[in-house]
Amino acid sequence: MTKDSNVNNLSIETNGTTIEKIVVAILLLVPIAVFSLTPLYNTKGPELFGLTFFYWFQAAWLVVTSIFYILAAMLLNRMEGGN
Amino acid sequence: MSSAGNYELLAVFISLFVIFIGLGFWSSRFRKGDLSDLGEWALAGRKLGTYLSWFLIGADLYTAYTFIAIPELVYEKGAIYYFAVPYVGMTFGIAMITMPRLWKIAKGKNYVTAVDMVSDKFNSKTLGMIIAFTGIAAELPYIALQIYGMQAVLIVMIGQFNVTDATTITEIALIVSFIILAAFTFTSGLRGAVITAVMKDALIFLTVIVVIIVVPLEIGGFGNAFSAMKPAAAGSYQILPSLLVNGFISLSLMSALALYLYPHAINGILSSSSTKKIRLSTALLPIYGVGLAMLALFGILIYASSPALALVGKYGPVTVVPALIYAELPPWFAGIAFLGIFIGGLVPASIMAISQANLLTRNVIKVAVPNLEPKTEARLSKYFSIMFKFIALGFIFLISPTYSLELQLVGGIIILQTMPAIFIGMYSKWLNKFGVGVGWLVGMVSGVYMIYYANFVANSFPSIETTFFKFSTPFSFLYIGLIALLLNLIFAVVITFIFHAMGKGTPTNNA
Repeated sequence: MTKDSNVNNLSIETNGTTIEKIVVAILLLVPIAVFSLTPLYNTKGPELFGLTFFYWFQAAWLVVTSIFYILAAMLLNRMEGGN
Repeated sequence: MSSAGNYELLAVFISLFVIFIGLGFWSSRFRKGDLSDLGEWALAGRKLGTYLSWFLIGADLYTAYTFIAIPELVYEKGAIYYFAVPYVGMTFGIAMITMPRLWKIAKGKNYVTAVDMVSDKFNSKTLGMIIAFTGIAAELPYIALQIYGMQAVLIVMIGQFNVTDATTITEIALIVSFIILAAFTFTSGLRGAVITAVMKDALIFLTVIVVIIVVPLEIGGFGNAFSAMKPAAAGSYQILPSLLVNGFISLSLMSALALYLYPHAINGILSSSSTKKIRLSTALLPIYGVGLAMLALFGILIYASSPALALVGKYGPVTVVPALIYAELPPWFAGIAFLGIFIGGLVPASIMAISQANLLTRNVIKVAVPNLEPKTEARLSKYFSIMFKFIALGFIFLISPTYSLELQLVGGIIILQTMPAIFIGMYSKWLNKFGVGVGWLVGMVSGVYMIYYANFVANSFPSIETTFFKFSTPFSFLYIGLIALLLNLIFAVVITFIFHAMGKGTPTNNA
Protein backbone atom coordinates (compact mmCIF):
# COMPACT_ATOMS: atom_id res chain seq x y z
CA MET A 1 0.00 0.00 0.00
CA THR A 2 2.65 2.52 1.05
CA LYS A 3 6.31 2.02 1.72
CA ASP A 4 7.20 1.32 5.30
CA SER A 5 10.22 3.55 5.38
CA ASN A 6 11.14 3.17 8.98
CA VAL A 7 11.19 -0.28 10.50
CA ASN A 8 11.11 0.47 14.17
CA ASN A 9 11.21 -1.70 17.24
CA LEU A 10 7.45 -2.23 17.10
CA SER A 11 7.68 -4.40 14.02
CA ILE A 12 7.88 -7.66 15.89
CA GLU A 13 6.90 -9.46 12.69
CA THR A 14 10.41 -8.83 11.44
CA ASN A 15 11.92 -11.20 13.98
CA GLY A 16 11.26 -14.46 12.13
CA THR A 17 13.14 -16.05 9.26
CA THR A 18 12.08 -15.46 5.67
CA ILE A 19 10.54 -18.93 5.45
CA GLU A 20 8.49 -18.31 8.59
CA LYS A 21 7.23 -15.03 7.18
CA ILE A 22 6.24 -16.67 3.89
CA VAL A 23 4.38 -19.42 5.72
CA VAL A 24 2.50 -16.87 7.86
CA ALA A 25 1.59 -14.88 4.74
CA ILE A 26 0.23 -18.02 3.07
CA LEU A 27 -1.73 -19.04 6.17
CA LEU A 28 -3.40 -15.64 6.35
CA LEU A 29 -3.88 -14.99 2.64
CA VAL A 30 -5.28 -18.32 1.46
CA PRO A 31 -8.53 -18.09 3.48
CA ILE A 32 -9.05 -14.48 2.38
CA ALA A 33 -8.30 -15.27 -1.27
CA VAL A 34 -10.75 -18.17 -1.34
CA PHE A 35 -13.52 -16.08 0.19
CA SER A 36 -12.87 -13.30 -2.36
CA LEU A 37 -13.14 -15.64 -5.34
CA THR A 38 -16.91 -15.81 -5.11
CA PRO A 39 -17.52 -17.33 -8.58
CA LEU A 40 -15.57 -20.42 -7.44
CA TYR A 41 -18.26 -21.45 -4.96
CA ASN A 42 -21.32 -19.77 -6.43
CA THR A 43 -22.89 -23.04 -7.57
CA LYS A 44 -25.94 -25.09 -6.63
CA GLY A 45 -24.30 -28.46 -6.35
CA PRO A 46 -23.17 -30.53 -4.60
CA GLU A 47 -25.92 -29.98 -2.06
CA LEU A 48 -25.74 -30.86 1.63
CA PHE A 49 -28.94 -31.42 3.65
CA GLY A 50 -30.82 -29.75 0.82
CA LEU A 51 -28.58 -26.68 1.08
CA THR A 52 -26.82 -25.42 -2.06
CA PHE A 53 -23.02 -25.47 -2.25
CA PHE A 54 -22.89 -21.68 -2.05
CA TYR A 55 -24.15 -21.70 1.56
CA TRP A 56 -22.55 -24.75 3.10
CA PHE A 57 -19.15 -24.30 1.48
CA GLN A 58 -18.71 -20.82 2.96
CA ALA A 59 -19.79 -22.01 6.41
CA ALA A 60 -17.40 -24.95 6.20
CA TRP A 61 -14.60 -22.71 4.94
CA LEU A 62 -14.91 -20.67 8.14
CA VAL A 63 -13.73 -23.70 10.09
CA VAL A 64 -10.76 -24.22 7.75
CA THR A 65 -10.05 -20.49 8.03
CA SER A 66 -9.90 -20.69 11.80
CA ILE A 67 -7.41 -23.59 11.62
CA PHE A 68 -5.21 -21.59 9.23
CA TYR A 69 -5.40 -18.54 11.50
CA ILE A 70 -4.58 -20.56 14.64
CA LEU A 71 -1.47 -21.96 12.95
CA ALA A 72 -0.49 -18.45 11.86
CA ALA A 73 -1.06 -17.16 15.40
CA MET A 74 1.12 -19.88 16.91
CA LEU A 75 3.89 -19.20 14.43
CA LEU A 76 3.70 -15.43 14.96
CA ASN A 77 3.72 -15.88 18.72
CA ARG A 78 6.81 -18.06 18.46
CA MET A 79 8.48 -15.47 16.24
CA GLU A 80 7.71 -12.79 18.81
CA GLY A 81 9.58 -14.76 21.46
CA GLY A 82 9.53 -14.08 25.18
CA ASN A 83 6.52 -15.31 27.07
CA MET B 1 -48.51 -21.34 21.46
CA SER B 2 -51.10 -21.44 24.25
CA SER B 3 -51.71 -18.51 26.56
CA ALA B 4 -50.11 -20.48 29.43
CA GLY B 5 -47.14 -20.97 27.11
CA ASN B 6 -46.86 -17.23 26.63
CA TYR B 7 -46.70 -16.67 30.38
CA GLU B 8 -44.11 -19.42 30.67
CA LEU B 9 -42.00 -17.71 27.98
CA LEU B 10 -42.32 -14.35 29.72
CA ALA B 11 -41.44 -15.85 33.12
CA VAL B 12 -38.24 -17.46 31.78
CA PHE B 13 -37.32 -14.25 29.99
CA ILE B 14 -37.78 -12.06 33.05
CA SER B 15 -35.99 -14.45 35.44
CA LEU B 16 -32.96 -14.58 33.17
CA PHE B 17 -33.01 -10.82 32.76
CA VAL B 18 -32.86 -10.43 36.54
CA ILE B 19 -29.79 -12.70 36.62
CA PHE B 20 -28.27 -10.62 33.83
CA ILE B 21 -28.75 -7.40 35.82
CA GLY B 22 -27.21 -9.01 38.90
CA LEU B 23 -24.15 -10.08 36.91
CA GLY B 24 -23.82 -6.60 35.46
CA PHE B 25 -23.59 -4.95 38.88
CA TRP B 26 -21.52 -7.72 40.46
CA SER B 27 -18.89 -7.46 37.73
CA SER B 28 -17.55 -4.15 39.08
CA ARG B 29 -15.75 -6.36 41.65
CA PHE B 30 -14.26 -8.61 38.99
CA ARG B 31 -10.43 -8.32 39.02
CA LYS B 32 -10.90 -5.20 41.01
CA GLY B 33 -9.33 -1.95 39.93
CA ASP B 34 -9.80 1.72 40.59
CA LEU B 35 -12.89 2.44 38.51
CA SER B 36 -12.40 6.16 38.74
CA ASP B 37 -9.47 5.69 36.34
CA LEU B 38 -10.38 5.72 32.65
CA GLY B 39 -8.05 2.84 31.74
CA GLU B 40 -9.66 0.73 34.44
CA TRP B 41 -13.24 1.65 33.64
CA ALA B 42 -12.98 1.56 29.85
CA LEU B 43 -10.31 -1.09 29.25
CA ALA B 44 -10.93 -3.27 32.32
CA GLY B 45 -7.35 -2.46 33.30
CA ARG B 46 -5.89 -4.22 30.19
CA LYS B 47 -6.14 -7.53 32.04
CA LEU B 48 -8.23 -9.69 29.73
CA GLY B 49 -6.84 -13.06 28.70
CA THR B 50 -7.47 -15.17 25.59
CA TYR B 51 -10.94 -16.40 26.53
CA LEU B 52 -12.40 -13.19 27.92
CA SER B 53 -11.00 -11.30 24.93
CA TRP B 54 -12.65 -13.86 22.72
CA PHE B 55 -15.98 -13.30 24.41
CA LEU B 56 -15.61 -9.54 24.38
CA ILE B 57 -14.65 -9.24 20.72
CA GLY B 58 -17.16 -11.93 19.89
CA ALA B 59 -19.73 -9.79 21.66
CA ASP B 60 -18.95 -7.04 19.19
CA LEU B 61 -19.62 -9.42 16.36
CA TYR B 62 -22.54 -11.40 17.69
CA THR B 63 -25.00 -8.58 17.88
CA ALA B 64 -28.39 -7.70 16.48
CA TYR B 65 -26.48 -7.54 13.20
CA THR B 66 -26.21 -11.32 13.35
CA PHE B 67 -29.54 -12.25 14.94
CA ILE B 68 -31.77 -9.74 13.29
CA ALA B 69 -30.34 -7.72 10.40
CA ILE B 70 -28.68 -10.45 8.33
CA PRO B 71 -31.49 -13.06 8.64
CA GLU B 72 -33.99 -10.32 7.82
CA LEU B 73 -32.35 -9.58 4.50
CA VAL B 74 -31.48 -13.16 3.61
CA TYR B 75 -35.22 -13.78 4.05
CA GLU B 76 -36.17 -10.73 1.98
CA LYS B 77 -33.50 -10.72 -0.73
CA GLY B 78 -31.63 -14.00 -0.67
CA ALA B 79 -28.03 -15.05 -1.23
CA ILE B 80 -26.38 -11.63 -1.50
CA TYR B 81 -26.84 -10.94 2.23
CA TYR B 82 -24.92 -14.09 3.04
CA PHE B 83 -21.92 -11.77 2.42
CA ALA B 84 -21.66 -11.60 6.21
CA VAL B 85 -20.06 -15.07 6.19
CA PRO B 86 -16.99 -14.23 4.06
CA TYR B 87 -16.88 -10.93 5.94
CA VAL B 88 -16.29 -12.59 9.30
CA GLY B 89 -13.92 -15.07 7.69
CA MET B 90 -11.74 -12.30 6.29
CA THR B 91 -11.94 -9.66 9.00
CA PHE B 92 -10.01 -11.69 11.55
CA GLY B 93 -7.16 -12.28 9.12
CA ILE B 94 -6.86 -8.52 8.74
CA ALA B 95 -7.06 -8.14 12.52
CA MET B 96 -4.27 -10.68 13.10
CA ILE B 97 -1.89 -8.41 11.20
CA THR B 98 -3.03 -4.97 12.28
CA MET B 99 -4.25 -5.32 15.85
CA PRO B 100 -1.20 -6.72 17.68
CA ARG B 101 0.76 -3.83 16.21
CA LEU B 102 -1.82 -1.30 17.36
CA TRP B 103 -1.79 -2.85 20.84
CA LYS B 104 2.00 -2.54 21.05
CA ILE B 105 1.99 1.07 19.93
CA ALA B 106 -0.83 1.86 22.37
CA LYS B 107 0.78 0.06 25.30
CA GLY B 108 4.11 1.80 24.73
CA LYS B 109 2.57 5.27 24.72
CA ASN B 110 -0.38 4.62 27.02
CA TYR B 111 -2.97 5.29 24.34
CA VAL B 112 -6.57 4.41 25.20
CA THR B 113 -8.03 4.98 21.72
CA ALA B 114 -6.81 4.70 18.13
CA VAL B 115 -7.31 8.44 17.83
CA ASP B 116 -4.60 9.00 20.46
CA MET B 117 -2.27 7.37 17.97
CA VAL B 118 -3.58 9.35 14.98
CA SER B 119 -3.14 12.69 16.77
CA ASP B 120 0.39 11.76 17.76
CA LYS B 121 1.56 10.19 14.48
CA PHE B 122 0.26 12.97 12.29
CA ASN B 123 1.05 15.58 14.92
CA SER B 124 -2.40 17.06 14.49
CA LYS B 125 -5.01 17.27 17.21
CA THR B 126 -7.44 18.60 14.61
CA LEU B 127 -7.08 15.47 12.50
CA GLY B 128 -7.48 13.48 15.72
CA MET B 129 -10.73 15.27 16.50
CA ILE B 130 -12.04 14.67 12.98
CA ILE B 131 -11.31 10.95 13.29
CA ALA B 132 -12.86 10.90 16.79
CA PHE B 133 -16.09 12.48 15.58
CA THR B 134 -16.16 10.08 12.61
CA GLY B 135 -15.91 7.13 14.99
CA ILE B 136 -18.62 8.53 17.24
CA ALA B 137 -20.92 9.14 14.27
CA ALA B 138 -20.36 5.68 12.79
CA GLU B 139 -21.25 3.98 16.08
CA LEU B 140 -24.63 5.68 16.41
CA PRO B 141 -26.47 3.82 13.63
CA TYR B 142 -24.77 0.61 14.81
CA ILE B 143 -26.22 1.13 18.31
CA ALA B 144 -29.58 1.98 16.76
CA LEU B 145 -29.45 -1.39 14.98
CA GLN B 146 -29.03 -3.10 18.36
CA ILE B 147 -32.14 -1.37 19.62
CA TYR B 148 -34.10 -2.50 16.56
CA GLY B 149 -33.09 -6.05 17.37
CA MET B 150 -34.26 -5.76 20.96
CA GLN B 151 -37.51 -4.25 19.80
CA ALA B 152 -38.07 -7.16 17.40
CA VAL B 153 -37.89 -9.66 20.27
CA LEU B 154 -40.15 -7.61 22.52
CA ILE B 155 -42.82 -7.09 19.88
CA VAL B 156 -43.09 -10.82 19.14
CA MET B 157 -43.21 -11.62 22.85
CA ILE B 158 -45.56 -8.86 23.99
CA GLY B 159 -47.69 -9.07 20.87
CA GLN B 160 -48.94 -12.51 21.97
CA PHE B 161 -50.80 -11.07 24.92
CA ASN B 162 -54.19 -9.48 24.46
CA VAL B 163 -53.07 -5.99 25.23
CA THR B 164 -54.49 -2.98 23.47
CA ASP B 165 -51.24 -1.25 22.70
CA ALA B 166 -48.33 -3.66 22.37
CA THR B 167 -46.19 -1.01 20.67
CA THR B 168 -46.33 1.37 23.62
CA ILE B 169 -45.56 -1.41 26.07
CA THR B 170 -42.61 -2.43 23.90
CA GLU B 171 -41.28 1.10 23.90
CA ILE B 172 -41.62 1.42 27.66
CA ALA B 173 -39.88 -1.94 28.13
CA LEU B 174 -37.04 -0.73 25.91
CA ILE B 175 -36.58 2.49 27.84
CA VAL B 176 -36.61 0.64 31.19
CA SER B 177 -33.98 -1.81 29.89
CA PHE B 178 -31.80 1.08 28.81
CA ILE B 179 -32.01 2.77 32.19
CA ILE B 180 -30.87 -0.47 33.82
CA LEU B 181 -28.08 -0.88 31.28
CA ALA B 182 -26.96 2.71 31.79
CA ALA B 183 -26.81 2.12 35.54
CA PHE B 184 -24.56 -0.90 35.38
CA THR B 185 -22.36 0.44 32.62
CA PHE B 186 -21.87 3.48 34.83
CA THR B 187 -20.80 1.42 37.83
CA SER B 188 -18.98 -1.49 36.16
CA GLY B 189 -17.66 -0.11 32.87
CA LEU B 190 -16.17 -2.59 30.44
CA ARG B 191 -16.07 -5.27 33.14
CA GLY B 192 -19.87 -5.29 33.15
CA ALA B 193 -19.92 -5.76 29.39
CA VAL B 194 -17.39 -8.61 29.46
CA ILE B 195 -19.09 -10.62 32.19
CA THR B 196 -22.56 -10.21 30.71
CA ALA B 197 -21.12 -11.02 27.27
CA VAL B 198 -20.21 -14.48 28.56
CA MET B 199 -23.82 -15.07 29.63
CA LYS B 200 -25.15 -13.70 26.36
CA ASP B 201 -22.91 -15.89 24.22
CA ALA B 202 -23.69 -19.01 26.23
CA LEU B 203 -27.42 -18.47 25.65
CA ILE B 204 -26.91 -17.64 22.00
CA PHE B 205 -24.73 -20.66 21.25
CA LEU B 206 -27.33 -22.88 22.90
CA THR B 207 -30.08 -21.28 20.84
CA VAL B 208 -28.25 -21.55 17.54
CA ILE B 209 -27.29 -25.19 18.03
CA VAL B 210 -30.77 -26.26 19.12
CA VAL B 211 -32.58 -24.37 16.38
CA ILE B 212 -30.30 -25.49 13.58
CA ILE B 213 -30.81 -29.14 14.58
CA VAL B 214 -34.47 -29.11 15.62
CA VAL B 215 -36.03 -26.86 13.01
CA PRO B 216 -34.70 -28.57 9.86
CA LEU B 217 -35.85 -31.90 11.33
CA GLU B 218 -39.34 -30.53 12.04
CA ILE B 219 -39.82 -28.99 8.65
CA GLY B 220 -37.99 -31.61 6.61
CA GLY B 221 -34.74 -29.91 5.65
CA PHE B 222 -33.59 -26.97 3.59
CA GLY B 223 -34.80 -28.59 0.38
CA ASN B 224 -38.36 -28.03 1.58
CA ALA B 225 -37.62 -24.41 2.40
CA PHE B 226 -36.27 -23.72 -1.08
CA SER B 227 -39.18 -25.46 -2.76
CA ALA B 228 -41.66 -23.53 -0.59
CA MET B 229 -40.50 -20.28 -2.20
CA LYS B 230 -42.06 -18.89 -5.30
CA PRO B 231 -40.14 -20.47 -8.20
CA ALA B 232 -39.40 -17.06 -9.71
CA ALA B 233 -37.79 -15.84 -6.51
CA ALA B 234 -35.99 -19.04 -5.59
CA GLY B 235 -33.23 -18.35 -8.11
CA SER B 236 -31.72 -15.47 -6.15
CA TYR B 237 -31.86 -17.58 -2.99
CA GLN B 238 -30.18 -20.79 -4.16
CA ILE B 239 -27.12 -19.04 -5.55
CA LEU B 240 -25.95 -15.50 -6.15
CA PRO B 241 -27.26 -13.98 -9.41
CA SER B 242 -24.23 -13.02 -11.52
CA LEU B 243 -25.40 -9.39 -11.52
CA LEU B 244 -24.80 -9.26 -7.76
CA VAL B 245 -21.40 -10.95 -7.54
CA ASN B 246 -19.46 -7.66 -7.33
CA GLY B 247 -21.92 -6.33 -4.79
CA PHE B 248 -21.34 -9.42 -2.68
CA ILE B 249 -17.55 -9.19 -2.87
CA SER B 250 -17.43 -5.44 -2.21
CA LEU B 251 -19.77 -5.75 0.78
CA SER B 252 -17.80 -8.57 2.36
CA LEU B 253 -14.35 -7.06 1.75
CA MET B 254 -15.29 -3.59 2.94
CA SER B 255 -17.12 -4.91 6.00
CA ALA B 256 -14.02 -6.95 6.80
CA LEU B 257 -11.84 -3.86 6.53
CA ALA B 258 -14.30 -1.73 8.53
CA LEU B 259 -14.83 -3.86 11.64
CA TYR B 260 -11.47 -3.16 13.24
CA LEU B 261 -11.73 0.55 12.54
CA TYR B 262 -14.76 0.82 14.81
CA PRO B 263 -13.88 2.34 18.18
CA HIS B 264 -15.62 -0.50 20.04
CA ALA B 265 -13.56 -3.19 18.30
CA ILE B 266 -10.31 -1.33 18.96
CA ASN B 267 -11.41 -0.79 22.55
CA GLY B 268 -11.86 -4.55 22.88
CA ILE B 269 -8.37 -5.19 21.48
CA LEU B 270 -6.72 -2.64 23.74
CA SER B 271 -8.27 -4.27 26.81
CA SER B 272 -6.44 -7.50 26.08
CA SER B 273 -3.44 -8.33 28.25
CA SER B 274 -0.91 -9.23 25.52
CA THR B 275 -0.34 -9.44 21.78
CA LYS B 276 -0.09 -13.22 21.93
CA LYS B 277 -3.53 -13.43 23.50
CA ILE B 278 -4.90 -11.08 20.87
CA ARG B 279 -3.60 -13.34 18.09
CA LEU B 280 -4.97 -16.53 19.61
CA SER B 281 -8.40 -15.15 20.46
CA THR B 282 -8.66 -13.51 17.03
CA ALA B 283 -7.72 -16.76 15.30
CA LEU B 284 -10.53 -18.52 17.14
CA LEU B 285 -13.15 -15.95 16.17
CA PRO B 286 -14.15 -17.34 12.75
CA ILE B 287 -15.71 -20.17 14.78
CA TYR B 288 -18.22 -17.56 15.92
CA GLY B 289 -18.91 -16.99 12.27
CA VAL B 290 -20.26 -20.51 11.92
CA GLY B 291 -23.07 -19.49 14.28
CA LEU B 292 -23.60 -16.37 12.20
CA ALA B 293 -23.92 -18.51 9.08
CA MET B 294 -26.51 -20.69 10.80
CA LEU B 295 -28.52 -17.66 11.88
CA ALA B 296 -28.39 -16.27 8.35
CA LEU B 297 -29.87 -19.55 7.16
CA PHE B 298 -32.89 -18.97 9.42
CA GLY B 299 -33.87 -16.51 6.70
CA ILE B 300 -34.25 -19.48 4.36
CA LEU B 301 -35.54 -22.06 6.83
CA ILE B 302 -38.48 -19.85 7.72
CA TYR B 303 -40.00 -20.42 4.27
CA ALA B 304 -40.88 -23.94 5.37
CA SER B 305 -42.67 -22.83 8.54
CA SER B 306 -46.09 -21.34 7.86
CA PRO B 307 -46.80 -20.31 11.50
CA ALA B 308 -43.49 -18.41 11.56
CA LEU B 309 -44.26 -16.80 8.19
CA ALA B 310 -47.62 -15.65 9.59
CA LEU B 311 -45.84 -13.93 12.50
CA VAL B 312 -43.39 -12.24 10.15
CA GLY B 313 -46.32 -11.09 8.05
CA LYS B 314 -47.77 -9.48 11.16
CA TYR B 315 -44.65 -7.95 12.74
CA GLY B 316 -42.35 -7.43 9.77
CA PRO B 317 -39.26 -9.18 8.34
CA VAL B 318 -37.12 -7.86 11.19
CA THR B 319 -38.69 -10.58 13.35
CA VAL B 320 -37.54 -13.58 11.24
CA VAL B 321 -35.43 -15.20 13.97
CA PRO B 322 -37.73 -14.61 16.96
CA ALA B 323 -40.74 -15.69 14.87
CA LEU B 324 -39.10 -18.96 13.83
CA ILE B 325 -38.06 -19.71 17.41
CA TYR B 326 -41.52 -18.84 18.76
CA ALA B 327 -43.30 -20.95 16.16
CA GLU B 328 -41.11 -24.04 16.27
CA LEU B 329 -39.78 -24.45 19.81
CA PRO B 330 -41.31 -24.93 23.31
CA PRO B 331 -42.10 -21.76 25.31
CA TRP B 332 -39.44 -22.19 28.00
CA PHE B 333 -36.80 -22.54 25.33
CA ALA B 334 -38.13 -19.57 23.41
CA GLY B 335 -37.81 -17.59 26.69
CA ILE B 336 -34.10 -18.47 26.89
CA ALA B 337 -33.50 -17.69 23.23
CA PHE B 338 -35.40 -14.39 23.35
CA LEU B 339 -33.42 -13.22 26.34
CA GLY B 340 -30.23 -14.21 24.52
CA ILE B 341 -31.19 -12.12 21.50
CA PHE B 342 -32.37 -9.27 23.70
CA ILE B 343 -29.13 -8.97 25.67
CA GLY B 344 -27.36 -9.69 22.39
CA GLY B 345 -28.39 -6.14 21.48
CA LEU B 346 -27.99 -4.65 24.94
CA VAL B 347 -24.40 -5.73 25.66
CA PRO B 348 -22.92 -4.51 22.34
CA ALA B 349 -24.85 -1.25 22.74
CA SER B 350 -23.08 -0.80 26.05
CA ILE B 351 -19.64 -1.58 24.60
CA MET B 352 -20.22 0.81 21.71
CA ALA B 353 -21.39 3.63 23.96
CA ILE B 354 -18.32 3.18 26.21
CA SER B 355 -16.03 3.52 23.20
CA GLN B 356 -17.85 6.63 21.97
CA ALA B 357 -17.59 8.17 25.43
CA ASN B 358 -13.85 7.45 25.49
CA LEU B 359 -13.34 9.23 22.20
CA LEU B 360 -15.37 12.26 23.20
CA THR B 361 -13.58 12.66 26.53
CA ARG B 362 -10.02 11.88 25.51
CA ASN B 363 -9.82 13.19 21.99
CA VAL B 364 -12.19 16.11 22.02
CA ILE B 365 -12.80 17.45 25.55
CA LYS B 366 -9.28 16.82 26.78
CA VAL B 367 -7.82 18.57 23.76
CA ALA B 368 -9.85 21.65 24.58
CA VAL B 369 -9.20 21.38 28.34
CA PRO B 370 -5.71 19.84 28.57
CA ASN B 371 -5.34 19.86 32.34
CA LEU B 372 -8.37 17.65 32.96
CA GLU B 373 -8.00 15.61 36.17
CA PRO B 374 -7.92 11.84 35.55
CA LYS B 375 -10.89 11.42 37.87
CA THR B 376 -12.89 14.06 36.04
CA GLU B 377 -11.95 12.39 32.74
CA ALA B 378 -13.31 9.04 33.90
CA ARG B 379 -16.43 10.61 35.36
CA LEU B 380 -17.16 12.53 32.17
CA SER B 381 -16.79 9.33 30.13
CA LYS B 382 -19.33 7.59 32.33
CA TYR B 383 -21.89 10.34 31.79
CA PHE B 384 -21.20 10.47 28.05
CA SER B 385 -21.75 6.72 27.76
CA ILE B 386 -25.25 7.26 29.17
CA MET B 387 -25.85 10.16 26.83
CA PHE B 388 -24.90 8.18 23.71
CA LYS B 389 -27.16 5.28 24.61
CA PHE B 390 -30.12 7.59 24.86
CA ILE B 391 -29.23 9.46 21.67
CA ALA B 392 -29.31 6.12 19.84
CA LEU B 393 -32.59 5.25 21.53
CA GLY B 394 -34.03 8.57 20.40
CA PHE B 395 -32.72 7.85 16.91
CA ILE B 396 -34.94 4.82 16.48
CA PHE B 397 -38.05 6.62 17.65
CA LEU B 398 -37.40 9.15 14.89
CA ILE B 399 -36.05 7.21 11.92
CA SER B 400 -37.36 3.95 10.59
CA PRO B 401 -35.24 2.43 7.83
CA THR B 402 -36.73 -0.10 5.46
CA TYR B 403 -34.22 -2.70 6.61
CA SER B 404 -32.28 -2.63 9.86
CA LEU B 405 -29.02 -3.61 8.10
CA GLU B 406 -28.99 -0.30 6.24
CA LEU B 407 -28.08 1.37 9.52
CA GLN B 408 -24.96 -0.72 9.93
CA LEU B 409 -23.97 -0.35 6.28
CA VAL B 410 -24.22 3.42 6.52
CA GLY B 411 -22.04 3.23 9.64
CA GLY B 412 -19.60 1.19 7.56
CA ILE B 413 -19.37 3.82 4.83
CA ILE B 414 -18.54 6.43 7.49
CA ILE B 415 -16.00 4.40 9.49
CA LEU B 416 -14.15 3.26 6.35
CA GLN B 417 -13.06 6.87 5.82
CA THR B 418 -10.83 6.58 8.90
CA MET B 419 -8.87 3.74 7.28
CA PRO B 420 -5.98 5.85 5.88
CA ALA B 421 -5.49 7.66 9.20
CA ILE B 422 -5.62 4.54 11.39
CA PHE B 423 -4.38 1.56 9.37
CA ILE B 424 -1.90 3.32 7.10
CA GLY B 425 -0.90 5.71 9.88
CA MET B 426 0.04 2.68 11.96
CA TYR B 427 2.58 1.46 9.42
CA SER B 428 3.85 4.42 7.47
CA LYS B 429 4.96 7.98 8.05
CA TRP B 430 4.66 8.88 4.40
CA LEU B 431 1.07 10.21 4.36
CA ASN B 432 0.73 13.88 5.20
CA LYS B 433 -1.96 15.18 7.58
CA PHE B 434 -3.43 17.44 4.92
CA GLY B 435 -3.58 14.53 2.48
CA VAL B 436 -5.37 12.38 5.05
CA GLY B 437 -7.70 15.25 5.93
CA VAL B 438 -8.66 16.04 2.35
CA GLY B 439 -9.02 12.33 1.54
CA TRP B 440 -11.34 11.99 4.53
CA LEU B 441 -13.43 14.94 3.37
CA VAL B 442 -13.73 13.57 -0.18
CA GLY B 443 -14.64 10.12 1.14
CA MET B 444 -17.30 11.47 3.50
CA VAL B 445 -18.87 13.86 1.01
CA SER B 446 -18.91 11.33 -1.83
CA GLY B 447 -20.20 8.59 0.50
CA VAL B 448 -23.04 10.72 1.81
CA TYR B 449 -23.85 11.93 -1.68
CA MET B 450 -24.02 8.38 -3.04
CA ILE B 451 -26.27 7.31 -0.17
CA TYR B 452 -28.51 10.27 -1.01
CA TYR B 453 -28.36 9.47 -4.72
CA ALA B 454 -29.15 5.79 -4.25
CA ASN B 455 -32.12 6.59 -2.01
CA PHE B 456 -33.68 9.65 -3.54
CA VAL B 457 -32.49 10.04 -7.12
CA ALA B 458 -31.88 6.61 -8.62
CA ASN B 459 -34.76 4.76 -7.09
CA SER B 460 -34.83 2.84 -10.30
CA PHE B 461 -33.41 -0.26 -8.68
CA PRO B 462 -35.90 -0.96 -5.92
CA SER B 463 -35.01 -4.63 -5.80
CA ILE B 464 -31.69 -3.88 -4.19
CA GLU B 465 -30.74 -2.01 -1.07
CA THR B 466 -29.83 1.57 -0.60
CA THR B 467 -26.14 1.17 0.10
CA PHE B 468 -25.20 0.13 -3.42
CA PHE B 469 -24.15 2.31 -6.28
CA LYS B 470 -25.16 1.01 -9.67
CA PHE B 471 -22.81 1.26 -12.61
CA SER B 472 -23.64 0.13 -16.05
CA THR B 473 -21.30 -2.74 -16.98
CA PRO B 474 -18.72 -3.95 -16.03
CA PHE B 475 -19.06 -3.30 -12.27
CA SER B 476 -22.82 -3.49 -11.91
CA PHE B 477 -23.59 -2.99 -8.18
CA LEU B 478 -20.84 -1.92 -5.79
CA TYR B 479 -21.03 -1.10 -2.09
CA ILE B 480 -20.77 2.67 -1.69
CA GLY B 481 -18.17 2.20 1.06
CA LEU B 482 -15.68 0.83 -1.47
CA ILE B 483 -16.08 3.69 -3.94
CA ALA B 484 -15.86 6.37 -1.24
CA LEU B 485 -12.75 4.74 0.26
CA LEU B 486 -11.03 4.57 -3.13
CA LEU B 487 -11.69 8.28 -3.72
CA ASN B 488 -10.43 8.99 -0.21
CA LEU B 489 -7.18 7.08 -0.84
CA ILE B 490 -6.58 8.69 -4.22
CA PHE B 491 -6.89 12.19 -2.75
CA ALA B 492 -4.80 11.30 0.31
CA VAL B 493 -1.95 10.06 -1.87
CA VAL B 494 -2.09 12.84 -4.46
CA ILE B 495 -2.24 15.68 -1.90
CA THR B 496 0.56 14.10 0.13
CA PHE B 497 2.62 13.78 -3.03
CA ILE B 498 2.10 17.45 -3.83
CA PHE B 499 3.23 18.46 -0.32
CA HIS B 500 6.32 16.30 -0.59
CA ALA B 501 7.09 17.73 -4.03
CA MET B 502 6.81 21.25 -2.62
CA GLY B 503 9.44 20.28 -0.08
CA LYS B 504 7.10 20.36 2.85
CA GLY B 505 7.64 16.69 3.58
CA THR B 506 8.33 14.97 6.87
CA PRO B 507 5.10 16.33 8.27
CA THR B 508 4.48 13.49 10.65
CA ASN B 509 5.81 13.29 14.11
CA ASN B 510 6.58 10.28 16.17
CA ALA B 511 7.62 12.06 19.32
